[in-house]
Amino acid sequence: MIKVLKVTGDSLAPDYQEGDFVVALKFPFLFNSIAPGDIVVFRNADYGTMIKQVESIDPVSGDLHVIGTHPYSVDSRQFGALARVDLVGKVIWHIKNPR
Amino acid sequence: MIHNIFESIDKKVGVERASAHCDVPCGIYDPIVAQISALTVVRMIDLIEELAGKGDGHDTAYHNSMGRYVAVKEEHAENAKAEIRIIWGDYIKAQHKENYPQLDGIVHKIMQLGSKSRQTTDREAAVELVEIINEFAEIFWATKGINTKRANAPYAPALELVYPNL
Repeated sequence: MIKVLKVTGDSLAPDYQEGDFVVALKFPFLFNSIAPGDIVVFRNADYGTMIKQVESIDPVSGDLHVIGTHPYSVDSRQFGALARVDLVGKVIWHIKNPR
Repeated sequence: MIHNIFESIDKKVGVERASAHCDVPCGIYDPIVAQISALTVVRMIDLIEELAGKGDGHDTAYHNSMGRYVAVKEEHAENAKAEIRIIWGDYIKAQHKENYPQLDGIVHKIMQLGSKSRQTTDREAAVELVEIINEFAEIFWATKGINTKRANAPYAPALELVYPNL
């Protein structure tokens, strides 16, 4: 499954900024496990569809600990680890908003 | 080019949003507070000059008003500096500085003129403070891809301010 999304918010600035587009793909997860540093899109019950960076992966459950680069980022430090079932996809293409 | 194509698609079909969510105050930055603070400094200098031209300057009403004008001038000059420091420290990233290499010099100038505006009643320096913060505002909005316009403030001293063209 492939999905195009538009980034809102600044928690992944300066790499990902408001107005950027990303293409997220779920299929690669079947062949290529997610690694720390990857950018992923996922669903969160409180915040909706989110985009963050994978910081670490639980070796037992496979849950993902995701973070933003901004000090005020709302991420796994607030809502905990992310279950794989909530993943929308891994970002495979980043289209920056020219500024 | 590619971004424009995606932008067109978004306008037509409405692409889903992925939030890189931040807690407050992340994302809530606006140089207008600094701009208005600088404008207030000019206004206070005008009021100080106006009051100084009246009477002999020895009655209590004079001292009360003069004290208040000076205090407000101090407060707003410092506030202008503080607001710029917040945007500078929390919002401006290395990428912005690469795209706008003049930013360092502009921020330094704001700090200097802000201090001068606290220390003196130099109207020219205060007006210069308004203008240099305008330049900062133009760059700030440009980093967000938002065009700006210039218009005179709708209140005294009615100097030109930069506004986002939303």
